[in-house]
Amino acid sequence: MTATLETTVLSTVDTAVELAGVRKVFGHGGSAVVALDGVDLKVKPGEFVCLLGASGCGKSTLLNIVAGLDAATSGQLQLNTSRPAVMFQEPALMPWLTAARNVELALRFAGVGRLARKRRALELLELVRLGDVADKRPHELSGGMRQRVALARALASTTVSADGAPALLLMDEPFAALDAITRDVLQSELLRVWETTNTAIIFVTHDVREAVRLGQRVVLLSSRPGRVVREWDVRDSSDEVLDEINTHLREVISGHAS
Amino acid sequence: MATPPDTLDKVGAGLDALDVPVEAHRPPIWRRFLKTGVPPIIAFALLLGVWQALWASALLPEFQLPAPVNVWNELVRSISSGEAFGILWTSLHRAVLGFLAAVVIATPLGLLIAKVRVVRAAIGSLLTGLQSLPSVAWVPAAILWFGVTPSTIYFVVLMGSVPSIANGLVAGIDQIPPLLPRVGRALGAGRFASARHILLPAALPGYLAGLKQGWAFSWRSLMAAEIIATSPQLGVGLGQYLHNGSSLNDINMVIAAIFLILLVGIGIELLLFRPLERAVLRARGLTGAL
Repeated sequence: MTATLETTVLSTVDTAVELAGVRKVFGHGGSAVVALDGVDLKVKPGEFVCLLGASGCGKSTLLNIVAGLDAATSGQLQLNTSRPAVMFQEPALMPWLTAARNVELALRFAGVGRLARKRRALELLELVRLGDVADKRPHELSGGMRQRVALARALASTTVSADGAPALLLMDEPFAALDAITRDVLQSELLRVWETTNTAIIFVTHDVREAVRLGQRVVLLSSRPGRVVREWDVRDSSDEVLDEINTHLREVISGHAS
Repeated sequence: MATPPDTLDKVGAGLDALDVPVEAHRPPIWRRFLKTGVPPIIAFALLLGVWQALWASALLPEFQLPAPVNVWNELVRSISSGEAFGILWTSLHRAVLGFLAAVVIATPLGLLIAKVRVVRAAIGSLLTGLQSLPSVAWVPAAILWFGVTPSTIYFVVLMGSVPSIANGLVAGIDQIPPLLPRVGRALGAGRFASARHILLPAALPGYLAGLKQGWAFSWRSLMAAEIIATSPQLGVGLGQYLHNGSSLNDINMVIAAIFLILLVGIGIELLLFRPLERAVLRARGLTGAL
């Protein structure tokens, strides 16, 4: 093995995602809106990072840039992962496909063969405990179950690569539309899945409690333009940290009152 | 954490059990027949009764309002002599061929209009306009261009059905929730894979509605063309049969022809489009449709 190869391996182990000075402007001239202004962010492989902010802080924009659905106006984005998978607030399952086929669709786009697709899809559905309803269509499932199918599909698209690159899951307020009990269950489900798959997760939310419960690290973004305000390590979180983050979030929001 | 994970697992399993929609099991076949088969039969019987009563009242002369039984006899005569099958075959095979040609032309056309902005700007409203132009208006021009030949008839059928099918596909694509193609892109679908696995299946209900309307338009355009353009070369279709009845002042033949035209329309709808549409919509949980 050559020395250069050694360093690339080292660097992939070091960071999964690196954003440097990412800036995003929508529109031109006088009506231009700066959504993101110089955002720096590093995510380690297998790390669970929560992006926290009020509306208009550009969290979704940031996620779209990482996902490759949107291009940054300037700045650097480096991904040392397989294709990032995205989960939205809505499950966005194809209504004409069964749960299993929805998961398989992701694998089909990645060029996985038919038999392997079937096997892997069932594995992933088992992982989110939906093996029994693999043949049901989305309308036959509850909202929480649909979102779990979407999670399985997202995992399918990011854990597919054979070269062993770390997986990356981008989640844009995936539980915001669910009722409180279902959300509670899905949060613990997500933590379990994260622990078993060792996938790096960037999780966007405006709910401080959710961010602290799920994440290892919480990153607070300011609104219009979005900048990183502060970060907290919340691995052994206490109520004080929760209060502190809440206070900062309120400050960021009330700064827009005038 | 307030609640231990295995408790939450149980809660999750309980939620799953509670949340799964209860499947409504289908009622037995005789009850379904009672619900959907009987009302139209009663309606038809009522219509016949009114007709019979009107005829019995002798308000209109016999050559304007025939007795139901005379029309029935005309139908039986044409069926038992085999004439009806020849007539139906002539018209149906034209309609089906014309409709299939329309599908082949309209599908790429609809895709182009839906996905290429310039094409939509250029001919989108023209196509909608053509849809409101009665295709019978093309008959005089078509006769001048092609003479009284099958080409004239096919031309009129195409002009009637292509706009409906293309517009149906455009509407189907326009109504796709933008999130679905976005998800496709996030999952790594290229342009072609996205069209094949996301856009076309998602647009299927609208496309099917367009096909259904396109069939109706090709059938009635065909009738219009057959009534106006008659020649020995074209043979006898339903339209000519109707035309002949009119020329002979034979109201029994006229009503029998109208009955056969309706019968084909209803038959194709019930045997082909209704089951297709039902299967497609039911698979998507849109059970509000029959």
